[in-house]
Amino acid sequence: MTTATLPARKKIVDSDTELVRAIIAGQTDKFDELVRRYEHRLYSFSRRMCREEADAEDMVQETFLNAFRYLGEFRYETRFRNWLYRIAVSTGLKKKRRSKFAPERELPLDDLETAGAGELNEETPAWARAPLERLLNEELLAVLNEAILALPEKHRIVVVLRDLEGFSTEEAAQILGLSAANVKVRLHRARSFLRDKLRGYFAHGM
Amino acid sequence: MECKLTGDIRCHELCERLSEYIDRELAPSLCREIERHVAGCPACRCCLETLRQTVALCHRAGRHRIAAPLPRRLKARLRSLAKPPAAP
Repeated sequence: MTTATLPARKKIVDSDTELVRAIIAGQTDKFDELVRRYEHRLYSFSRRMCREEADAEDMVQETFLNAFRYLGEFRYETRFRNWLYRIAVSTGLKKKRRSKFAPERELPLDDLETAGAGELNEETPAWARAPLERLLNEELLAVLNEAILALPEKHRIVVVLRDLEGFSTEEAAQILGLSAANVKVRLHRARSFLRDKLRGYFAHGM
Repeated sequence: MECKLTGDIRCHELCERLSEYIDRELAPSLCREIERHVAGCPACRCCLETLRQTVALCHRAGRHRIAAPLPRRLKARLRSLAKPPAAP
């Protein structure tokens, strides 16, 4: 009888690998460089996860603390960035559960579904055909950011990871511990919600 | 569920796949079906184009990192984190 062995998982090498290896090997002063690489991205991500600035600051700090604490367990089986975001999501969700705020409302999925083609009794509006440069301004970005914050958490995290942070479906699924199919469903719901908010803004102002 | 505008039962079904279509995650045969349908259905075309523009705007919003600079307080906390005590 032979002993079954699990196939070794492929190691991922990326632009963080060398730095992470050095820190794990004991050069902890290099953690500063890791913080510098990700502090702005993580803060931006945290601001979209937490409405309050102070909560976002705590989330970033706790994420880096946890990353430092568990760095030795990193197995190079994903990109380091994905591993760090997984910690950030987990830290943010734990923080949310501990907070005094009311539970998230659920997105009215049925309403969103009818806001698909069945409700669009119009030709494509001008804003959907306009060059982005003509549309983009501070007011629109503020409207979009508000709409993102208005999404229920489970939809918001997915659209932020996919469309704002640039992760693939598979990466987002890995970060969130969901199936790719689940990520796709949530993403479509979230995008439809944002589309309806933008349509409202361009039709009537918000 | 049929489309209120066109009465076409496929509208709802195809609209549910539009995000995957935009992300190029669908099989070529389904992509062609969507393209054929959208070419003849103004409601679904509107649905696709508004969704596509929404995604494009989100991509651009992602490049605009939160406008405010990193708060000084957080920066100080991170600097102290960045000098963790050596492991025993």
